Amino acid sequence: MELDLVIQIWLASLFTIWIYSIAFRDNDFFKFAEYTFVGAAAGHSLVYGVDNLRRYGWDNLMGGAYLYIVVFLLGILLYSRYHPQYFWVSRYPLSIMVGIGIGLSMRAVVTAEFIAQIKSTAGIKLIGVSDPITLLSNLIFIILVVTTVYFFLFTFPKSHEGGLSIIPRIARYGMMAAFSYSFANTVLSRYNMIFGRLDYIYNQWLPLPGAIIALPVALILLIYAMLPPEKRPWPKKQ
Amino acid sequence: MSGQGKSIWDTLGDIPREVLYGVLLVVFVIPMIYPLGLPVPISANVLKWYKAVEDLPPGAVVMIDFGYSGGGEPELGPMAVAVYHHMLRRGDIKVICMSTSIEGPQLWDKAMAELRPEQRYGAVYGVDYINIGYIAGGETAMAAVGKDLRATTSTDYKGTPLDQYSIMDGIVDAHSFDLLICYTTGGDQSEGWVRQWYTVYGTPYMCSVLAMMVPTMLPYMNAGQIISVTSGAQAGEMEGLVHVPARGIKSADVITLTHMLCVVYVVIGNVAYIAKKFQGGSK
Amino acid sequence: MSTTLKKTIPVAIVFVVAMLVMMDYFIVTPPVNEAGKSWTSGVVKDLQNWGIILTAFSLGFGAVNLFYFHSKHISRRTPKQWMFSLWLLLVIVTFTAVGVFMGPTSTSYNWIYNASYFALSATVYSSLGFYMTSGLYRALRIKNIESTIFMVVGVIVLLKNAPALAVYFPTLSAWGSFIENVLTTSAQRGIMIGGALGAISLGVRTMTGIETGFLGKLTEEEKGGSEP
Repeated sequence: MELDLVIQIWLASLFTIWIYSIAFRDNDFFKFAEYTFVGAAAGHSLVYGVDNLRRYGWDNLMGGAYLYIVVFLLGILLYSRYHPQYFWVSRYPLSIMVGIGIGLSMRAVVTAEFIAQIKSTAGIKLIGVSDPITLLSNLIFIILVVTTVYFFLFTFPKSHEGGLSIIPRIARYGMMAAFSYSFANTVLSRYNMIFGRLDYIYNQWLPLPGAIIALPVALILLIYAMLPPEKRPWPKKQ
Repeated sequence: MSGQGKSIWDTLGDIPREVLYGVLLVVFVIPMIYPLGLPVPISANVLKWYKAVEDLPPGAVVMIDFGYSGGGEPELGPMAVAVYHHMLRRGDIKVICMSTSIEGPQLWDKAMAELRPEQRYGAVYGVDYINIGYIAGGETAMAAVGKDLRATTSTDYKGTPLDQYSIMDGIVDAHSFDLLICYTTGGDQSEGWVRQWYTVYGTPYMCSVLAMMVPTMLPYMNAGQIISVTSGAQAGEMEGLVHVPARGIKSADVITLTHMLCVVYVVIGNVAYIAKKFQGGSK
Repeated sequence: MSTTLKKTIPVAIVFVVAMLVMMDYFIVTPPVNEAGKSWTSGVVKDLQNWGIILTAFSLGFGAVNLFYFHSKHISRRTPKQWMFSLWLLLVIVTFTAVGVFMGPTSTSYNWIYNASYFALSATVYSSLGFYMTSGLYRALRIKNIESTIFMVVGVIVLLKNAPALAVYFPTLSAWGSFIENVLTTSAQRGIMIGGALGAISLGVRTMTGIETGFLGKLTEEEKGGSEP
């Protein structure tokens, strides 16, 4: 295996162990890894920002689309937000971005998340369904959709009181079930990710020379770093 | 009475997190060292996905959005690789990839390193598959590519002009594609494709998301807007269908045992809680 | 004049741009070219490309904010902090230098990405799994009707998500399907419809200048000029 790959695996594995240490106690190794992560994320964003500007802006500009000069100026104006007096200039390019975003989402939300969903719910059969379980499921489905929409649409207190209070209560029960499903799936998701990292350490790092010794050393150093300074066995305070 | 030692129920109801995490880690590690080979069922959504790719006509063009970040790679990476295996093995499907995630190009390189398309399937970059890179803007990028891909980008992810690649012949906009696939860790992306491609152009769409995002995509699938929603956690099932066992299927043993441990924790917590309540009530 | 320049015109830009994008989708407005596309099609195509470039510019905000914040710690030599801040800025500079000068798809950049950012990102995401574990131990308890539903559904889905158990106990799959396709889908659909109405109303309010959150901080003059 090439040396650069070996070093890469060592670094990645140590970072993994240091990040996992936060589950037990905060420590300086975790802080170091955390700051590396934040710096890397910001640097990566900057790199791809420049790459996108080059590929979608500069290349078009050099290809003859001179109107892109205006776009570049607008992009630079975005950073005027840091100026104490002329921060409002950044609202102009921001307005274009917000306008595009609103236009794109509003034009499709009506169809995709409103009409299509209502159409699908209205198309659920209640008559002519021979299987009782399917019929019950369909009925529960429609009831939960209607009650959940009621829960979010009618928020004034009177709509949740008296005889009408049964409606938001049913909606709450349905949403509890949905959130519980999401919760259990989140556990599945996270455990898959933990497995991915542990698998990397076990199959990529530990077979490397020295790693099997480095692992307990790293863990001992971590335990030391997690202890409060007065409880550390070394250095002894005079 | 206060001042007395903790009862067994107090201890069971308040197990320190170090113990919880320590046992969890042990349960993670044991099946990794000693695989149990437990069975993995194939779910209906994974079968629907598989069938959708199988039913693509020869010469079909597929757009894939590598929209996940490094955080989701352990879950979605195996799924992405398994689906690529399926499509490239057919030999008559063109796969064009883009990214709405800023880490997409790096993760695509990672997937290709695992897949080895040239060695395994004789696939040629620029003829059978290509990556047009990360395009900033989220839904704006989706809409722009769908409206006019060539006006949005003229190079691949390394900066080589698209005109040099035969796979891009005739690719103009969303109408040029027979199927859209998205792998993502962001709800905005998976829902954005429904809004910007399926709703506007009617492009058939499937997505694989983190397991925790599946609930938000279910209404779209139920309404027929998405063919299939799978989670990356089902990668093992896809690997079984395409007969290329890899990282996905390895996790099955671990997931089974850790989930059983979770249920044990819940039972212990509830037994302790109820017992403490009864104890407190009887005093 | 000041409020016009600082508030009214930006809101007007939002309105005009949003209307153009929506018009392009809903109506074919003349003049129409040979391909049957209206004049809005070309304008919106350009606008979308502009949006991509403006978003690319905005990707630098994170780095700028971090430089601003952490350089203060370095200059003040904040105890137990300044060295970490210095390291953070060094990482940003290293990534940027390698990525910009050697290319984001170069071997060198991929090396530093895989050695640091990828491993850290994957681990940070996954570390939440530990907190989920202690969360489910402490939160999934029978206290009232809602928490009982939460616990029962949670346990069923946890067992169903264990692949082998779903094979050995097919009833789990049946119950899991009911929870997924009936309970969860219906509740999520209700949330989605409510959310869609909210998104539409927020969009209309932003276009008409009632919602001014995107403008950032407003001066007293600008606040006084806004009418509900």
